[in-house]
Amino acid sequence: MSRSRFEDERRPLHSHAGRGPIAWGILLAIPLLTAACTESPAPREVATTVVFKHGKLFGDTTAFEGLLGQFEREHPGVRVRSESLPAASDAQHQFYAISLSARSAEFDVLALDVIWVAEFARAGWLRDLSALLPAAERAQFFSGPIEAVTWEGKPYALPWFMDAGVLYYRKDLLDKHGFVPPKTWPELARIAQAVRDKESGMHGFVWQGKQYEGLVCNALEYLWSNGGGAVDSDTIALNTAANREALAFVRSLLTSGVTPEFVTTLTEEPAREVFGRGAAVFLRNWPYAWQLFEQEGSAVRGKVGVSVLPHFPGQRSAATLGGWQLGVSKFSKHPQAAEQLVKFLTSSGAQRVLALAYGYNPPRHALYQDGELLAVQPHLRTLETVYAHARPRPVTPHYVRLSQILQAEFSAAVTGVKTPGEALASAQREARQRLP
Amino acid sequence: MRRDSAAFLAPAGVVLALVALLPMLLVVWLSLEQRSPLLGAARFIGFDNYLRLFGDVRFWNAFGNTVYFTAVSVALEILLGLAIALLLRHAFRGRALMYSVVLLPWAIPTVVSARLWEWMYNADYGVLNYLLGTSINWLGSPAWALNAAILMDVWKATPFVALLLLAGLQTIPRELYQAAAIDGASPWTMFRRITVPLLAPLILVVLIFRTIDAFRVFDAIYVLTGGGPANSTETLSIYAYKLLFQTLEFGYGSALAVSVLSCVGLLTIVYVRLLRRSGK
Repeated sequence: MSRSRFEDERRPLHSHAGRGPIAWGILLAIPLLTAACTESPAPREVATTVVFKHGKLFGDTTAFEGLLGQFEREHPGVRVRSESLPAASDAQHQFYAISLSARSAEFDVLALDVIWVAEFARAGWLRDLSALLPAAERAQFFSGPIEAVTWEGKPYALPWFMDAGVLYYRKDLLDKHGFVPPKTWPELARIAQAVRDKESGMHGFVWQGKQYEGLVCNALEYLWSNGGGAVDSDTIALNTAANREALAFVRSLLTSGVTPEFVTTLTEEPAREVFGRGAAVFLRNWPYAWQLFEQEGSAVRGKVGVSVLPHFPGQRSAATLGGWQLGVSKFSKHPQAAEQLVKFLTSSGAQRVLALAYGYNPPRHALYQDGELLAVQPHLRTLETVYAHARPRPVTPHYVRLSQILQAEFSAAVTGVKTPGEALASAQREARQRLP
Repeated sequence: MRRDSAAFLAPAGVVLALVALLPMLLVVWLSLEQRSPLLGAARFIGFDNYLRLFGDVRFWNAFGNTVYFTAVSVALEILLGLAIALLLRHAFRGRALMYSVVLLPWAIPTVVSARLWEWMYNADYGVLNYLLGTSINWLGSPAWALNAAILMDVWKATPFVALLLLAGLQTIPRELYQAAAIDGASPWTMFRRITVPLLAPLILVVLIFRTIDAFRVFDAIYVLTGGGPANSTETLSIYAYKLLFQTLEFGYGSALAVSVLSCVGLLTIVYVRLLRRSGK
């Protein structure tokens, strides 16, 4: 889930401190700006301006602006204005929901978190993009992101770049003690325990256990890799034997000491920090962490391996899908030009540029065979396998509500306030009551 | 004369009506609607949101957390604040320095001090566990998290209480104590018979401020835990935030906001009654 990727400290573009003065500044500036807008007429030769709204995605925008420039050259008469929203995912969600429910035509193309597409499609705010995604084109993408953008059989957005949960492990320590990377969850627990017993000051396995969206991403991976899940043929099916067993295993990670108790305070960055200072054998995180482990000065540089997350015996691995998609607003005044822009930005060429410049992982298979890309980012080889197993969180228009219920109940199961059975039963009950 | 004062007050009245009264009435109106941008047009549903609220387990959990947070933190703040005020009343070397040190927590913005406490509470390498020689999962265990938030609130608000009470103490005439001493009263008797009764009105004022503040607690908990683990720190304001800003249930969220407002209103009325009685 890319939420905190954009909120984390590495991209502190909108600091929390000093929001007051900024807010006042904006308030004061609004009349000035609107006055300026009405007074200066648009340049005559430009027929169409497409506005592209997205969260703050890029530190250095050169490569991204280069892409937009290329699009303008290829489409004479169309200009693109790129406007960024606050980095916090909640703020973006709220902005889109409020503008679109007021049928705002202020923007044409929007970047959507993977969990919003069904919600916005059902509300009738997104254009059906079937024309951009014929069967042959659809086959170019991994199946997870395609599933995430599909609502009632039609695509309402195109995958732009993707993310999924991976397992990081300490290559050096596993070698030293004669282990190979684990294939199943019980193996992981055993290895973590064994290495921890022999190395001083080490934690076994850290992940994201705080009550927030990331916990849902983590927990679903256990449910899925035990043949369970949250939704079965469009109905909520939480209190199942497979799910209970999976959650009981998660709880046992804490009680056995494989995972430290404080995992219930960890989000992505604090978890990465524990592993990054060399204090844990295993870490579950998103692919972004790789580059940070390998950068100069990192305590674990050259000692880290990446692999597909383990699964329960006799089952298959699964990874929670994150990432961003591009959709076209139903209220756009220039739908054709907007669709062209979506097509261009999700094209193989554009995704390659973004992958090279920013390390964003493309949702198209073919790029994982790209020699130049692999030379710079060799871990893409492993990620290809991960992405083939990536699954979207429940594709429902009520995902945000469902997630709030799941966050609280999974947290109760992980901290041991409720047994897995109790937590799943009350999640099931709440979900049936609260989701319309 | 009267007309003049009305004219001078009018601008302030208009501004207050626009920025406080009007939005408040709007929220009350919203709370009677089923309204969410995702569901299309708003629908008037009367008191349905409030009925739903009464049957909402999560609401009662948040209500319980809020009451517990308010009661414990305000009680501790008053007791500690009073103790500090009594100490600071006496002249001693370095008193000026003490004033500033005591005030420091109150001067730091809540979000910043919450971040500081988050680090101190870190169960892996936090200074608190280091000093105590413990390995308590302060923010990650449902048994501790709300108490950890209370501790931070006490640390932050006690200076405010101490300062107000100190101001109150300084208005009590010295002669009263001197007379009592001549009559052979013990310090404890003097405290009970002179200090407490004369300070009572001020203590009530401080109670009003602190209770209202604590009841609406949001920023500290939002930074420390976000309402977790297992909703053990979800207060009414955190729940309202999640409804209004995350799931965008404007109608239901407004009903919750109005209920918080009513609770605070009720508390204020009770306190003001008490204040009047103690004034007589």
